[in-house]
Amino acid sequence: MHSFWVDLLVAIIKILVILGIALGIGAFLTWVERKVAAHIQRRPGPMVVGWHGLLQPLADGVKLLTKEDLFPRYGDKFLYHLAIILALVPATLVFSVVPFGPEFEIFGYKVKPILSDVNVGLLLVFALGSMAVYAVALAGWASNSKYPLIASMRKAGVLVSYEVVITFAVMGPIILAGTLSTYEIVEKQIEQKLWYIWLQPIAFVVYMFAALAEMGRVPFDVQEAEAELVTGFTVEYGGMKFGLFPLVEWYIEGLTLSAIAVVLFFGGWSPINIPFVGFVDPLFFLGPLSPFVWFILKTTALFLFILWLHWTLPRYRIDQITQNAWKIMLPLTLFNIVITAVLAPIVWR
Amino acid sequence: MGKLIIFGFFSLMAILSGIGIITLKNPVYVVVALLSSLIAVAGIFFTAGAELVGALQLLIYAVAIAIFYIIVISAVPWQKAKKSETHHRFEGLISLPVVLLLYIEMIVVFLLGVKASPKGEIAKFIEKIGNAEVVGAILFSKYFLAFEVVSLVLLVGMIGAVLIGRKESQTYEDDTT
Repeated sequence: MHSFWVDLLVAIIKILVILGIALGIGAFLTWVERKVAAHIQRRPGPMVVGWHGLLQPLADGVKLLTKEDLFPRYGDKFLYHLAIILALVPATLVFSVVPFGPEFEIFGYKVKPILSDVNVGLLLVFALGSMAVYAVALAGWASNSKYPLIASMRKAGVLVSYEVVITFAVMGPIILAGTLSTYEIVEKQIEQKLWYIWLQPIAFVVYMFAALAEMGRVPFDVQEAEAELVTGFTVEYGGMKFGLFPLVEWYIEGLTLSAIAVVLFFGGWSPINIPFVGFVDPLFFLGPLSPFVWFILKTTALFLFILWLHWTLPRYRIDQITQNAWKIMLPLTLFNIVITAVLAPIVWR
Repeated sequence: MGKLIIFGFFSLMAILSGIGIITLKNPVYVVVALLSSLIAVAGIFFTAGAELVGALQLLIYAVAIAIFYIIVISAVPWQKAKKSETHHRFEGLISLPVVLLLYIEMIVVFLLGVKASPKGEIAKFIEKIGNAEVVGAILFSKYFLAFEVVSLVLLVGMIGAVLIGRKESQTYEDDTT
């Protein structure tokens, strides 16, 4: 009985920490994005509120909260609000299978810094990740307006194609690790002294394409398409309800997909890797904290890479996007799976 | 105890949304109810410890299949979506005995399965070698023939879809010239 309450307490603490990360950092990332975008375009960005605009997210939040709440005529109120929940909940749930670091002991209890280490963690990531399509589809339909509907149709088309591609792309690392659990995949990479990116560069490139498509970033942001669709399916949303959609799509999903990429291809919390030889840890002086710092560093680096792409590239057309998915990406991943499945047993068994 | 509460919650949700599927008028609401019942069934799988089946339920049914309903139905204009005149009442009445027969068959199979299931043996396997591995081992040993036949059925379905698609594109070209 005693251990049950301890387990419950640990789970609640983990949930609170994860929610804090997801929503707190998510809001703060709006500032990061604006700063990065500004410096890419050689302007200072937000400077007025706080030191270098650090309090800008707070000011934005207050502004969004105090805005007038408009509702489109003949719209469907229930689905309109359901769409917001459907966007937020699955995207946040994905964090429950992201491992932040290795197991550690505190007050004699062993704690894994992952909310639930299910042995099908990766499948859950993609199942929950693609739930986002319902939020978009319902938001587009319930708004009773043309632009949101077009946007939601586009997004659904993109998501359906890239969901297939991303699932096939991660098969390579799964074959190498021999497990679907996110925690064990990282452990396997440390055991084999190998980041899977060295053997799976094709899978990584395809994964990044699909991840960009899923979180609706440029070059795949056809559902927002500010120039043609005036921010797409969120047109009819106002105030904080509007604010939640980019928060979920760009920041929370961006963070989870970067974290999963780090887990799959960059060895999770392990330090810099020299293939087949071992690990070099320039941050050794941090002691037991070093794995967590490495995980955060790698995820941040990937996230900044995504931001860099977003503010550099032009936009694809919708037919080019789906053509890419089915005609280039899917054959590439199939090729990759066959090669990996043939080579992996020769190398390790 | 906690497991029982969660199981009860998911079952109640599945039943309620099942009722919603057949009683709601607006087709988009029907699909949302279908989605909720599919997710609830996935939740039941998770509480029963069948993680792989639960994840596949989410990935295949709740996402891949239900999304096509949403895409098709959300293209229907708002006012037309509420009309219930298109319901095929007569056909529904005729198909009732067949559906009843199917349900009886399902119950019979279920009862037979409960009798035949080795008590707790599979659970021991799962603890030893993991969820996905057990399913893979059973699929590729005991049910290998059935598994391959099903993949053949899928292939036939795919070829059929391609054929239908090609035919339409030809007639479309004929019409435009």
